[in-house]
Parts: sequence; structure tokens; C-alpha cells
Amino acid sequence: MASKTESAVSYSGARLADYTEDISGERGPVDLPFTLLSLLLLTIGVVMVLSASFARAYYDPTNSTGGNATYYFVRQALFALCGVGVMFACSRFPMSFYRQISGIVMLVSLALLALVLVPGIGEKVNGARRWINLKFTTFQPSEITKIAVIMWFAVLICKNKDGLRDFKHGLLPFIILLGIICGLLVLEPHMSAIIIILAIGLVMLFLGGLPLYWFIGGGLAAGTLLGVGYAIFPYVRDRFAAWLNPFADASDTGWQIVQSLYAIGSGGMLGLGLGNSRQKYLYLPEEHNDFIFSVYCEELGFIGAMLLLALFALLIIRGFWLSMHVRDRYSALVGAGITTHLAMQVILNVAVCTNSIPCTGISLPLFSYGGTALLLQMAELGIILSLSRDIPEKR
Amino acid sequence: MLFKKRRTEKSASPNRMMLRRTLFLMIVCGIVAFIALGARLFQLQILDHETYETAAVDQQLRETTVTAKRGTIYDRNMNILAMSASVSNIYISPAEIQANEEDPAAIAQGLSEILGVDYAEILEKTTHTNSWYMTVARKVEDDVADQVRAFKEAGFTDKDGNHKIYQGVKIEEASKRYYPYSSLACHVIGFVGADDHGLAGLEYYYDDLLSGTDGRIVRATNANGTDMLFTDFEDYYDAVDGQSIVTTIDETVQRYLETRLAQAAEDYMLRDGAAGIVMDVDTAAILGMASVGSFDLNDYMAIDPETMEQIENNSAGLTIEEHDALVEEARGEMWRNKALTETYEPGSVFKIITLAAGLECGATTMESSYFCGGSIDVLGRTDPLNCSNLAGHGDQTLTEAAMHSCNVAFVTIGLRIGAERFYDYIRAFGLFERTGVDLTGEAGSIWWDEDTFFDKSNLSQLAAAAFGQTFTITPLQLITAVSAVANGGYLMKPYLVKEVLNADGTVASQTEPTVVRQVISEETSRKCCEILEQVVGNRNGTGVNAYVAGYRVCGKTGTSEDVTWEVAHGTKKYITSFLGFAPADDPKVAVLILLKDPDPACGYGVSGGTMAAPTVGNVLADVLPYLGVEPEYDEGEEAIVDQRVPKLVGKTPSEAQATAEAAGLKVKSVQGDGAAVTAQLPAANAKVAAGSEVVLYCGVEPDMELVEVPSLKGMYYSDARVVAGWSGLYVRGEGTMMDSDNILTVSQSIEEGTMVEPGTVITVRLNDATKVGIW
Repeated sequence: MASKTESAVSYSGARLADYTEDISGERGPVDLPFTLLSLLLLTIGVVMVLSASFARAYYDPTNSTGGNATYYFVRQALFALCGVGVMFACSRFPMSFYRQISGIVMLVSLALLALVLVPGIGEKVNGARRWINLKFTTFQPSEITKIAVIMWFAVLICKNKDGLRDFKHGLLPFIILLGIICGLLVLEPHMSAIIIILAIGLVMLFLGGLPLYWFIGGGLAAGTLLGVGYAIFPYVRDRFAAWLNPFADASDTGWQIVQSLYAIGSGGMLGLGLGNSRQKYLYLPEEHNDFIFSVYCEELGFIGAMLLLALFALLIIRGFWLSMHVRDRYSALVGAGITTHLAMQVILNVAVCTNSIPCTGISLPLFSYGGTALLLQMAELGIILSLSRDIPEKR
Repeated sequence: MLFKKRRTEKSASPNRMMLRRTLFLMIVCGIVAFIALGARLFQLQILDHETYETAAVDQQLRETTVTAKRGTIYDRNMNILAMSASVSNIYISPAEIQANEEDPAAIAQGLSEILGVDYAEILEKTTHTNSWYMTVARKVEDDVADQVRAFKEAGFTDKDGNHKIYQGVKIEEASKRYYPYSSLACHVIGFVGADDHGLAGLEYYYDDLLSGTDGRIVRATNANGTDMLFTDFEDYYDAVDGQSIVTTIDETVQRYLETRLAQAAEDYMLRDGAAGIVMDVDTAAILGMASVGSFDLNDYMAIDPETMEQIENNSAGLTIEEHDALVEEARGEMWRNKALTETYEPGSVFKIITLAAGLECGATTMESSYFCGGSIDVLGRTDPLNCSNLAGHGDQTLTEAAMHSCNVAFVTIGLRIGAERFYDYIRAFGLFERTGVDLTGEAGSIWWDEDTFFDKSNLSQLAAAAFGQTFTITPLQLITAVSAVANGGYLMKPYLVKEVLNADGTVASQTEPTVVRQVISEETSRKCCEILEQVVGNRNGTGVNAYVAGYRVCGKTGTSEDVTWEVAHGTKKYITSFLGFAPADDPKVAVLILLKDPDPACGYGVSGGTMAAPTVGNVLADVLPYLGVEPEYDEGEEAIVDQRVPKLVGKTPSEAQATAEAAGLKVKSVQGDGAAVTAQLPAANAKVAAGSEVVLYCGVEPDMELVEVPSLKGMYYSDARVVAGWSGLYVRGEGTMMDSDNILTVSQSIEEGTMVEPGTVITVRLNDATKVGIW
């Protein structure tokens, strides 16, 4: 093994080969419940993309599908197939590999976050520059940033033996990093990504042992900031007003939420039946995307919604369970971080669809249409599968 | 070793705090949050399900109305009085115009040209882009709708060069009401508003039945308003077309009535219109009902130009509101069915009821006699009650008292009936309550309360009521009650609709004549007819001007003051009226006519006997033959009634003479010596008085030099015939053709001095102008 090197953060093709060879023999099998739950949810998600999107694809109000009713479905299905491959591929890399590439991932994500701000590279949609167009697909660098924060924070926490009690050497690097990331995201701007990344960061610090008074203080600070923002920015006030009473301006600011509530509410106990949503006929915006859950509720009713939430809850609980049972601290942190990310997306998405929180653009993992986002989610699940293989079998 | 290396790289195991915190996250993110979301979904999907479903369905479904066809209104012989034809409403959908990127200006331009609607107005409507329905034109005819359809189909070429139709231009089926006879029976038929629902008359009363039930098409649509894909969400609710009604109105009778009323309004210069009812005596079916002050049902808002001019002249210095109020008032006036919605003092016509009640209860008999000294003292009155003839009628039989319309006699009868019994009869004749006819707006009568009327110490109310004063009733109540007197005593419920037909023409229901009660015996009824026939048929009767040659007409005159008018304005206003029915031996038809506020300047005496009686007579003369009642002339009448001139051309002179004489005519002379008649005066089929002298031409042309019409007024009918003959002209008579010294010609159809061809027939009106009086 000529190219072996001592550097912890570099790797070569040869070492990659070593890892695969090495792991296949020594590690246990992937966790079966987590695998099955993931695949089941992915399958339901792809079917729902077909159901939710065909009306928009057919009417094609934005001239992007050519009137092909299965346009979105076919693309999502292909990405899902690739995603399954990605998930299993990721499950084969050992956790030490992820630990080694964490820094690179963080650097690359920061670079992409900066690149997306460059006109010509970043694509401007509705006044926000969030997308990089790769010709065959588009992706949001912020999606990568989320994984990068999980992975790199885990590395930093592992290095920091005294549990983040020292502010200068403990907490400050995290705050600086989060500050840089948030600054770049503000320039896009991308509010929902900031929320999720900040939340992920906080959860990582929480797991890493940051004393609880920081959270109490931070919570108070955040509340104050929110209050100040509410007082200063009319935009924030409007958001809140639209949240508290979406029907007051149902044809404009409340439109999305009202249509979503109509969809969910008209589902009733058993729903209108798979494929029978009526709200998806151009009433509900983003019906195959951020509001795919609303279509699901309309078609499959309260029973269906409970089943779906149960599946997600089981997946999340299993994710945390695996993180608690892995012997390696880095793996535990990454596993819990990824699971928290997954949980947060699901909870916030459903909360937005049901108007439980003010409206913001958060996609539903494994369901919402979007190729690269799906691939990244599958990769995250793959990482959890990878750590699951390190858990010693019970005797 | 790689294996070893990896081991050394591995970090420490998670500590207990980390495990605790992960467990905390698991509970929060995996259980607590999901329970909260589940609760929220329970609220939305189960508790508030119906609210959201209703709202969602509301926006997803689009409803199209299918207008039910409104039923037809027929007269008794199935002539169409009112019918609906399909027309179209043109509207635009600004939302679709915007969604489909159609050019609002082009649409406004196109529609403006076809429909004649202002361009700017349509353009303004296209800006309401939230709306799916903005009306551009209502009730346009089919050919116009076709033009709009063509415009819509022609469409436009979009920016990609594709042909698109104008989705935003919409044509909706509707229906429009047509009234083929325009103003005929306008007050009875009524009209419909813009929404195709009845506003007046039968159209209003029978609206539910006529309008049917509109159908609906409910479709699920996407947010752009076009159909949802793959859904069979479409519901049809069929329209149920309205039922049709067959009225008792007879178009011909109605026309006779209206023509005669219009003529009376002109001749007598009526300042407050007129009302008339023709009723089938046996069933109380209303054959005709008319008011003067009429309007065109096809344009029911339009006030006649004369009235409008009057309003404009009177409205100098008025505000717009005051002016509009005048216009509204005039409209209300012309829409008013005076025969139904107004009450009046019937005056002497009411003596029919007093007579019937008196005979029935024995207060009077055919053998009774009454002395009239010109007035009568009544308990409770300070001054005696005067008769119309202050000199007094002297000794009279009951029949003569009726002929004279003697107040003294009828007050006597009334007092003998007694107040309680009198009111019992009023109640029995249905005069306390509305008749219940199937038309809206029927007025109620006004009578003395019982305490006042039954006052033993003051009989003045009873005395006045006995000859038709100090109470008011509607014309319809009166003719219904008198029909009961005429038909053998049976009070019938008057009605206007005799049959209801389903949309497919089958009979849904029929109105059977309803006997309310028998009020008097057939015997009393017969006696009344006998007496009332003398009022008209006897040359001394007050109603002779209603006499129709060949028929035994019964009737009674009435001349009443409009008391409320006098109190309000201090001037006198008379309503002259006459109620006649015929034939006397088996009455078929009754006619009541009210002529309101005639101008004495018209030259005819203001009296029921000179104005209303001849008008009723004319109506009966028209209606009786039409209804198939054969005339029976006596000898005297045969000598004067109109005869139709037979065709004599082509016959030999002797044959012609025989034919003419067989037709009740004479031959004045035969001009020329040809073998056959080549021309005749007057022409064949002309109607002339019996005994008129025909001139025959055999081979020579008649001299057609124009002759001057002589004056034919103020002479006996026989003299008028002779005078006309001197100029080579002919006459025929109208009105009272009775052998009486008082009956003279009062008018001629072609004025004196007019130049006409020889052989022209001039109609003269005959009248007993002495029959003037407040009776």
C-alpha cells in the first residue's frame, strides 16, 4: 500500500479501495428495520409524486413539462433508483472514512455557498439565488451544508475533550462557522435553510455536551430577536398575520395555506382515494413539493396520515436508537445529527402544511420532488446504515 | 496495519450525558412532536372536516344553470296570450380572458359592434379579472347570438401562431316573454321582470307553476376553470319546464270589451279611466276583464306619450325625485286593474241585490205597489231622503219602481227587510269578503260596522245601503253577486284559470266551477230577471240604451258620486255604471262597466243610462252572437235591424229583386236595360238597415261622383235612412233600436260634409238621450 499517508483528512482512491475491502469482511449487516422503513417511505413518496404532480405536469402552466403528465414522476423515480444505490453505497463506507472527509465536505460546501452567489452560476428564482444549474438537474448547495455541519461539528466535538465548557476554544469556533454559513445564506437569501442549519448546529452542540444554560440564554436571545424582528419588519408581521388568520387574505398571502387546509380538511377520515385529490388541480401550489403532504392527506385521509406519520416516527426513533447503540462517539454524533435533520424536516413540513407554524419552504424528506435533494437524503440514510453495521450483535 | 490504524483513529465511546441527550431528542422528535401533529391533523381532518370540505367543494365546483322554459298562458280557445321564446344572454369571463391571454380590447370592440353596447363599458368589465361572470347583454335574439358565437369561434391567433377561440366570451341560454296581443288583457295577464319571474297579474299569481324548476350542471373544475382530468365529477339536475295555464279569458270577448271601453273613454271624455268585466253567469268564469289606462305587455314600463307629455308639462320646477315620483304614479295608475283592486259605491246597480233580498225574504212581492212623492222620511235623518225624480214617480208596481230606479220604493223595501236580515243577505252574497279570485290585489269591501248599521234609532244607513250608497265594494264582487241573482241563486267563486297543462300538453288539473252557496231560490231569481228585463226592454225603463235588438237584456243603471274624491277635492266626480245580463229567460253572460269621471262637456248627459248602458248594450250586441246566442227579432225589429246585402251581380233584374226582398231590402231602381245586373249599390256583403233601397245597374256604369254626407243627427232612425238615401248613401244603426219616440240618432260614423262615394254605408248611433239621471 504505497500511497498510504498519515494525514487524517486526505484520502486517495487506493485507500477507498482498502476501506471497502476491509469493511466487507469485518463489519456486521446493515440495520434491517431502518433499511425497510427507508425503502417503504421512499416508495410511497415516489407514488405520491406521481399522484400529486400529474395535473400540473399536464396543464403545464409554466411551460416546463411539455404537457407530459408523468414528467415529474419519471424523473423522481429515476432519482429514487439512483438514491437506493447511493444509500447502499454509503452504507459500505466505514464511519472513519466519513470522519476523514468531514473537513473536505465542509470546505466544499462553503465554496459552493459562495459560488451560488455569483451571477451566472447561481440561478435566481423568485428573487433568491439558491440554485446551481447542472444542466441535467439543479441543486441547492445549502442541502450539502446541512450534512457538512453535522459531519464537521461531530469531528470538532470529538476533538474537544473537555466538553465545550471553555468558550474561546470550545464554543467560539462553532459560532464563527455558523456565522459564516448564515451570512452566506442571508445573501441568497434562504430563510428556511438558515433555520434548519442553526437548529442542526444547536442540536450538535447539545449532544456534544454544551451546558444547558447556553440554551436557556440562547432561547431568550432568539425570542428577543424574534420580537424585535416582529416589531421592526412589516414583512415578518405579515407572515405572522397570514399564519394566525390565513383566511383574511385567502386570495393572496393566505392562498397557499388556505388551499393546503382545504386539501387536508377535505380528506376527512378515509380521504378521497389515492389519485383523487381535487386540490392538486392547480389550486394548491407546490403540490408535488413542499405541500405534497397536503395532497397525501386529501387522498388518504386521517388514517393514511397517521400511518405515514407513524412510519416516519419509527424511522426517526430507529435512527436515534442506532445512534445510542453505536460505540463510537463520532458515529453517535453524526447518527443523531442526521436523524434530527430528518425529524426536523418532517415535523416542520407537516407543521407548515397544517398551518401549525408560519409558512416557510421546507420539503418533506423522501416525498418532495427534487432529484439532488433526494440523493443527499439517501446518502444521509446510507451513513446511518453504515454506523448501524458497527453495532455489535447482541448475544 | 490498516486495521490497527482504524482502531486508533476511532474516537472515544459516547458518554452518559450524550446518551441522555440523544434519548431526550428521540422522545421529543420521535414521539412528542408526532403526537402534537397527529392532534392537529385530527382537528383538521375529523373535527373541522365539513367546514374545509364545503369550502373546497365550493371553489372546485362550477355550476351552470339550465333555464326551465316558462309555461304559456292561453285564452279559453287556446290562443296564446303569453309565451316564452329562447334568447341568449351574452356575458364575459374576465378571469378567463386574462388566463388565456385574450385581448380585452379586441373582445370589447367585437362585442360592441355586434351588440351595440358601449365599447368603453365592455372594456371596463374586462378589468374585473376576479370575476367569471360579467353580463354584457341580456335577452338577445338568436340571430344576434349566432353572430356572437361566430365571433367567439373566429377567435384570434396567439403569439405562437396558433388559432384560439375566445374562451372568455360566453353565451348563455335564457328565455324572453312575448305577448302576441300586446296590451290585450294586460291587467289580467301581467308581466315578468328581467329575472323571468312574474311581477303582476296571472304571471305573478301563478309564477311558481309557470316558472318550473331551473336545472343545473355541476362540474368539477381546476383552478383555471376548465374541467378536471380523469374525474367523472359531473352532476346533472334536469330542468323541469313550467306548466301552462288556460285562462277563462276569451280573446274575442276581451277585445270587444276593450274596444267598447276605449270608445266610451273617448266619447264621454273619461278623466279617470274605466273598468269592465264580462262574466259567465253560470260558472262565474271571467271571460273578459279590462281597465282603461292600459299598457303594452311587451314594453310594460312605457307610459303612453300623452300622459308623459302631461307629466313633463306639470313638472316644471320640480326636483328630479318629484318628477320621478309622478312618473311612478302614472305607471302605477296604468298597471292598476280597476275592476279588482278598487272599491266604489255601486249606487243604483245595487238595487238588484236589494230587490233579490226583498223578494226572497218576502219584504216585497211582484204584486207590491209603492207610492213615490219625491222623497221619504227616514228615522234618524233630519231631512227627508230625496228620490232622483223630485216630482215623484207616483204609484208604481215593483217592476215599475225598478224601471224608474225609484229610491223611495227601494228604501221602503230595504227598511222592510230590516238591518240584520239585510246584512245576512249581504254576507250570503259574499259582499263582506273577497271573492277569492285567482289574481293578486283584490280589494276588500268597506261596510258600516254592525252596531251602527243595526241601530234601531237611526235607519239612515240601512236606507242608503238599500240603494247602493255609504259602502264600497269591488266591481268583481258586484258582478259575482248579480250573477248569483241571474243564474238561479247560486253564488259562484269567480276564477280566471280553467286548466293547468303540463309541459307535454297533458292536463294537470282543471278548475271545476265552485258553488259557494245558494243565496236565493230559483223562483226569486226568475222574478228578478223578469223585472230587470223591463228596466231595459221597456221604453220607460232607465236602461233602454242597453237594449240589443233580438235579445232580452236585463240590467240596471247606476250613477254614483265618488264620495272620497269629493271630500278630498271638493269637486264632484261621478262613476256611471251599468250591469246587464242576457238572455232574460236563461242568462248566459253578464257585463258590468264603470265609466269614471266623464266630462259633462262631452255632450252626453252624465248618467249610467246614457253612458254606461249603451256601452254595455254594445258589448252584449257583440258578445251574445259570438257566444252562440241566437237573436229572436220581433216584427218591429225585423223591419229595422241591419241586413247583409246579398250578391246581386250576375242575376237577372227580376231575380235580383226577389233576392233583395228576401234579404229584407228593397230595390230603388234598375239603371240600364241589360239582361243581367252588372253592378250594385251598396256592394255585396255591406250591412245596411233593413228596408234600405238597393240600386241595380244593368249594363251601365254607376255614377261614382263623390257626394256630400248630410247631417243625420237628432232624427228618428227611419228618417235618417231616408235622408241618407237622398244622397245615394245608406245607413245602419248601432245602439238602441227600439220603437220609442225618444230614441234618436246621436252620432254618425262619417261626419257631415265629408265627400264620399255613393253607396257608402254610414253607421249612426241610436240613443234615448232622455235617460239622464242620478240612477
